[in-house]
Amino acid sequence: MKGKKIAGLIVLVVLIAAMAVTFIAFREKPVEGEKSITIEVIAEDKTSTVYEVDTDAEYLLGAMEDAEGLTFEGEEGPYGFTVNTVNGVTADLNSGKAYWGFFVGGEYCNYGVSQQPVEDGDSFQIVYTPAQ
Amino acid sequence: MMKAGSKNAALNVALVALMVAVIEVCKFAMIGLPNISLTAFWLVLFSKHFGSKVYYVVPVFTLLEGIVFGFNLWWISYLYAWPLLVLITRAFRKNDSALIWAVISGIFGLCFGGLCAIPYIFTAADLKSGLTYAVGWWISGIPWDITHCVGNFALMMLLYKPLGKVMQNLQKQIKS
Repeated sequence: MKGKKIAGLIVLVVLIAAMAVTFIAFREKPVEGEKSITIEVIAEDKTSTVYEVDTDAEYLLGAMEDAEGLTFEGEEGPYGFTVNTVNGVTADLNSGKAYWGFFVGGEYCNYGVSQQPVEDGDSFQIVYTPAQ
Repeated sequence: MMKAGSKNAALNVALVALMVAVIEVCKFAMIGLPNISLTAFWLVLFSKHFGSKVYYVVPVFTLLEGIVFGFNLWWISYLYAWPLLVLITRAFRKNDSALIWAVISGIFGLCFGGLCAIPYIFTAADLKSGLTYAVGWWISGIPWDITHCVGNFALMMLLYKPLGKVMQNLQKQIKS
């Protein structure tokens, strides 16, 4: 039994190490330097506002701060910064039935805004999304 | 006067409802903690002590999660991830080592992101794009999978023995 316990622990530690190495090797990495990107906000009534942004920010949160005319609010949580108000419109799953969905190149962002890397030429969308 | 069969059925329904309630209450109580929950712990403990009754707990729990949080893409993964844990638990049900259960629930936590990534394969226009997106999604969540793993491991090590005794007492009371 003791042998099984030790073997189980070893398997767990090896798996954790393998996953950590996979993450470090293959995660999307931030890019330094100036980037030109667009951030499009699609409101509840489907109206679209596009912001063209020149930024040195490595992550989307910083790029959003550099976007002239774009206002947003949110809060730091266990998963990083969560945006719940964009251009004065609140979409918060905790209090309502909608959220602000974040897309890059038409796909859902894999990370929260404070960890989502920004690359030159990226086009982000912030979409008012009713919960299903 | 209630017949024995009806009494047993009522008891089983109450037991299943109680198990789901325990899982949900714990989930809401720990919602502020990143990827740390007692869901896997309770499913392991309930599978071990209440046997096949847990087969009813998983669908009720899954349905309730959909109603509360919305039937989105993540919900599809609940249809096979939690039943998989229950099947694994049933296969190892004779084991009584907290460490072995901690390892099993830790590995389950580690694999959870990978299991949840599967539906994303089918969201893109073609299979190759879907696979690329699903793998990217899985990799981005690895830190949360490791957190899930460590949380599951620690909670099982801490709570398996004391709450296991509570479950044994409950089993005796139900049988008597």
